[in-house]
Amino acid sequence: MIEIQGLRKKFGTVEAVRGVSFSAGEGTVVGLLGPNGAGKTTTLRILSGLMRADAGAIRVDNADVAADPIGAQAHMGFLPESRGLYPRLTPMEHVEYFGRLHGLDGQDLRERARALLTRLELKDWASRPVSGFSHGERTKVALARALVHQPRNVILDEPTNGLDVMSTRAVRDMIRELRREGRCVLFSSHIMQEVSALCDRIVVIAQGKVVADGTPDELRSLAGHDNLEDAFVALSGLE
Amino acid sequence: MSLLQQVWIVLKKELRDGLRDRRSITTVLFTAALSPVLFGGMFTVMAVRNKNADEIKLPVAGAENAPAFVDWLKQQTGVEVVTAPADPEQAVRDRSEDVVLIIDKDFSRNMARAIPAPVKLVSDSTRENARKRVARARTLVATYSRQVAALRLLARGVAPPVATPVQLEEVEVSSAQERLAEQLNILTLLLVIAALTGGMQVAIDTTAGERERGSLEPLLLSPVPRVALAAGKWLAASAFGCSGVLFSMLLTVNVLRRVPWEDMEIRFRVSDGDLLSLLALVLPLVLFLSAVLIFFSTFARSFKEAQGYVGMLILLPMLPGVVSILYPLSNRPWLAPIPIVGQYALAADVLGGKPPGVIFYTLAGVSVLFCAFVLLMLTSRLLNRETIIFGR
Repeated sequence: MIEIQGLRKKFGTVEAVRGVSFSAGEGTVVGLLGPNGAGKTTTLRILSGLMRADAGAIRVDNADVAADPIGAQAHMGFLPESRGLYPRLTPMEHVEYFGRLHGLDGQDLRERARALLTRLELKDWASRPVSGFSHGERTKVALARALVHQPRNVILDEPTNGLDVMSTRAVRDMIRELRREGRCVLFSSHIMQEVSALCDRIVVIAQGKVVADGTPDELRSLAGHDNLEDAFVALSGLE
Repeated sequence: MSLLQQVWIVLKKELRDGLRDRRSITTVLFTAALSPVLFGGMFTVMAVRNKNADEIKLPVAGAENAPAFVDWLKQQTGVEVVTAPADPEQAVRDRSEDVVLIIDKDFSRNMARAIPAPVKLVSDSTRENARKRVARARTLVATYSRQVAALRLLARGVAPPVATPVQLEEVEVSSAQERLAEQLNILTLLLVIAALTGGMQVAIDTTAGERERGSLEPLLLSPVPRVALAAGKWLAASAFGCSGVLFSMLLTVNVLRRVPWEDMEIRFRVSDGDLLSLLALVLPLVLFLSAVLIFFSTFARSFKEAQGYVGMLILLPMLPGVVSILYPLSNRPWLAPIPIVGQYALAADVLGGKPPGVIFYTLAGVSVLFCAFVLLMLTSRLLNRETIIFGR
């Protein structure tokens, strides 16, 4: 469960986020949609606990992110915008390292790591250093290390950005599976089909504000367009 | 999960990562090997020069003018009389000879009449290498002169001591060990360099490298206090620094034990206890130097940028080392609490055969550990800064 209330953030004189509020419940997939520079990444960074908001509050499963970032981080699995890996470590070692940082250990950790890598079709690569991996494989490793502690809340910043068809599919299947398991999934994207195919609810952000919040059907009727892309363009005031 | 467990997780990962990095392994080995090679070479050259000074080949021009003098010279130990070049002064000037003795043709006649017999010693005082051989030649002439004088006085019924109103005896206060210690201070400098360069690669890779790769943000998303992350990285860099110091020490000691000290009239007397004392000084210093490296590298956005900072940093701890060669820091144990300077001062006393009390080691150790702790806290605060986390 993620609840965001009246979030504001200024960089110098530029107000990047101007009162963003929305929530995402268990067993639902919420898409954060918006043009480049709308404030999606800034909102997610504040949610992650790594950036402080000027105003507003965020609660993740009853933990206040600003007051107790480490407590909140324990309930979140986060795929941030920068998803660098350690070139000399194997995918298995990446997943195990982050699992240990989350307090997991031993046989339990090894089994979870193996299951995750199998699910993301990385099993055959599990014992090779990641330095030679493709972009898609790297993203899968980053995803696996973010999910190793089986978080109740999963936040993905543009998870399919720059991926090929097969990798994109694997990531989308993963998101559906997470919903089936009753987790709360929040992901940002600017790809319309992806959002409409996956999301139970869409939050549209433009110029640092939430301009629409509802199911894909609600958004279509709200904007008076049958096509979601046209609805998005109309709602975010791009025309 | 306790803080220590978290530190251990980070440390283990960084060690594994560092051991797979060929660059970090080669820097440790290279600096460790460089020092003993420099050191052994330097002392061997010194020893060889010393030896050569005792065994002198003395070119004598006009030997036929003073057969008795030349016979006497030949009887002196380590002296070999050879024929002089045609132009002695030119030979010394162009460095084919260090020193030439010229016996005047009037030598025997003046000797017989008991008036000063002329002898010339050709040398070049600007030549450091030749100084000992010139001094030896001068002493030989003076000794012969004194012996003949004593015989003349005896022949005239005068006791020779009458002609020596003042007797000079030189007392050298610094022991041979202390004079050697001045040279040995370079050992401390080399150990400090090994400490810095050994941990450098890992310190940069785990901080600036982490930022450059974009792996810092994911790492900071784990529910682990920043201080655990900073401490794990710091200990990993320290471990590499310590192994650099130990390697360097082992190799250097092996080389030092093989230097021909007898030829320098010095008994090499750096005991295993002294070496352990040096380690007791330098190993805590490694923890401080790694903390400095980690702190400054965290500011850098990339590996290259960090190397720029560290390149400047490396000069700083070398300064007291270089200064201590010119102005010895020995007998100043009260310098102990100043990081780096204190270690140089105490090490100078250890190598000089006057080991300082345990209290000074403790003082030096506590001081560097405290400074390391402060830097560690500052580093963990840096890891909270948005410009560091997101600034790429």
